[in-house]
Amino acid sequence: MDRELIVRRTSLSENILGFCRYLRHKDFRIGPAEEADALLAMETLGPFANPDIFRLSLRAVLARTRAQQLVFDELYSEYWCELEKAVDSKIKDAPEEKPKPKPAAGNFQSIKDWLNKNNKKDEESEAAAYSALATSGKKSFEGFSDDELTEIMRIIRRAAKPLTLQFNRRKQRARRPGDFDLRQTLRRNLRRGGDILELVYNKPKKHRPQLVLLCDVSKSMDLYSKFLVQFMYGFQRVVSRVETFVFSTSLQRITNQLNKNSFEHTLEELSLTVPGWSGGTRIGESLQTFVEDYGRRLLSRRTLVLIMSDGWDTGEPEVMEAAMASIHRQASKVIWVNPLAGSPGYEPTVRGLQAALPYIDLFVAAYDVESLRRNLII
Amino acid sequence: MQHPELERLQQLLQDQAYITDQSIVLSVFLARQLNKPLLVEGPAGVGKTEIAKVMARAMDTELIRLQCYEGLDATHALYEWNYQHQLLYLKMLEKQDTSPEEMERSLFDDRFLLKRPLLQAITHHKAPLLLIDEVDRADEEFESFLLEVLSDWQISIPEIGTIKATHIPQVILTSNRVRELSEALRRRCLYLWIDYPDYDKELAIVRQKVPDIDARLSEQICGFMQEVRKQRLEKVPGVAETLDWAMALANLHIDHLDKELVSATLGIILKDWQDIRQTQMSLSELFERVGAISKLDVNG
Repeated sequence: MDRELIVRRTSLSENILGFCRYLRHKDFRIGPAEEADALLAMETLGPFANPDIFRLSLRAVLARTRAQQLVFDELYSEYWCELEKAVDSKIKDAPEEKPKPKPAAGNFQSIKDWLNKNNKKDEESEAAAYSALATSGKKSFEGFSDDELTEIMRIIRRAAKPLTLQFNRRKQRARRPGDFDLRQTLRRNLRRGGDILELVYNKPKKHRPQLVLLCDVSKSMDLYSKFLVQFMYGFQRVVSRVETFVFSTSLQRITNQLNKNSFEHTLEELSLTVPGWSGGTRIGESLQTFVEDYGRRLLSRRTLVLIMSDGWDTGEPEVMEAAMASIHRQASKVIWVNPLAGSPGYEPTVRGLQAALPYIDLFVAAYDVESLRRNLII
Repeated sequence: MQHPELERLQQLLQDQAYITDQSIVLSVFLARQLNKPLLVEGPAGVGKTEIAKVMARAMDTELIRLQCYEGLDATHALYEWNYQHQLLYLKMLEKQDTSPEEMERSLFDDRFLLKRPLLQAITHHKAPLLLIDEVDRADEEFESFLLEVLSDWQISIPEIGTIKATHIPQVILTSNRVRELSEALRRRCLYLWIDYPDYDKELAIVRQKVPDIDARLSEQICGFMQEVRKQRLEKVPGVAETLDWAMALANLHIDHLDKELVSATLGIILKDWQDIRQTQMSLSELFERVGAISKLDVNG
């Protein structure tokens, strides 16, 4: 009996290690320390028959983020189901039954085969999912390369610095040695009879500017939607205080959707939750909504407003003018980014844009990464 | 649950009026067995901090809490010398005839050492429970400093020497995911995600915490909360809000929900005006869906 148990346990621990290896293959960061933890956890729990406990304890030890936890269960059942087939349901065996010994190498080989097979299947199903998304009328974002995104973030980081830098002559206490604050130092040490024990430093106070992004996602902007998403995502990542809105016929706040951890998640959220993508354009009314609903909270002397639109407005220019005037009055700076402005011979003659023009501090063209680099880094 | 020790732990937590599920119990159990910190993440108001409090009571040990915030640094977490006290003492010593060596020795004495939570946890006579709350609010520098303490369990104070932990504390870290925590910290810990409770669990919690609530009302409240959370809200209400609401309505001796009542008391569960506006507009629809779950009085 004793010997049998040992045999069973070693094969179980081997399988756990195999599972760790499998997870590593699936981008889980698992090293020897985690493997040891997993084995130790199994040991403390002792022999048991409840597969749920087994699964949950492995999850507690091996999955380290929310995202990993979410995929863990699926990977778990995939792996152990396959293993059960391969090892002839050794784990489920009743203790009385004799375990059927099988060479370990055989196990791994079968798992490996299955891994490879499974990988291919994954790719296929993913591709299918993408096309399904496109035909269902929802916006699908394809073909974003990581390189491009990194590049865009880099540019935005450089561009955002001068845009959001605001000088302030006031000083604030600094923890690290810097400018010496004589007055505060004397005052603080006076309490202890004037022995200078503690030095006080200060540094220029930083303004924390608020950035508001208003992006046009109407039909006429469709050509640039890919760039638009990168642009919004990039700003949200790089600048600390950004609020992002999109508008076509109505205004929607998407700051939270953009704050997802990965770009893929963001895309997914956006395609699911932004209803008016590629709709008509009512810039004036959308801006009006913005002023009414968010203006009080977001617009101040520290606010920089970035509007990204081609200016094709189907509404009344008076509405547009009123909204722009209001934004201009309350914000510190209004920048209009126009994807069309880059083409030679372009004149901002669109009616809506004409109405807005007096209230724009800076008019720039940007329609892709390259133009963004050329025009936004001033 | 078939494991005797797990069952005992669950009972222990239950006795402290904490409703758990298997994954929570198991994580707590493993954290204790493997002697590893437990990192608890989840949305606000699902009882992350509560776990630590309950565990401390269940283990019958002291809870030492380090609340993290932006700008938290080592002196606030570890120790500080009580300068003022030392100076006064020095002035007193000057009047007496003590040698400089003697002076120095008595100046850096234990009694001038202000112990902050981490040092407290290390020097405690019995292994305490150390709660590092909202670790994501502290900056990255502090996080790496924390890593060092959590792995070595020793703190060196130049004037005294190295203090080694006599008992390794049980550590619970909580995070609201304001900032992604470093991979290194994650790898040191076991991970537990607590989500909003499902209907049954929430009902059990409400009945546990608000014992004199009407049975039908509690069902309706929980059913309603489940539906509210399915909406796209800026601030999704947690269990704490559910309990506030249940408590308020129970105090008013109300025995069922109706639209008017919900509309008037929405401010207890929703804390953002847009959320309130949105919910008020879709109240009828919400009620219909809740009705399917807990036979809510739709016409009420």
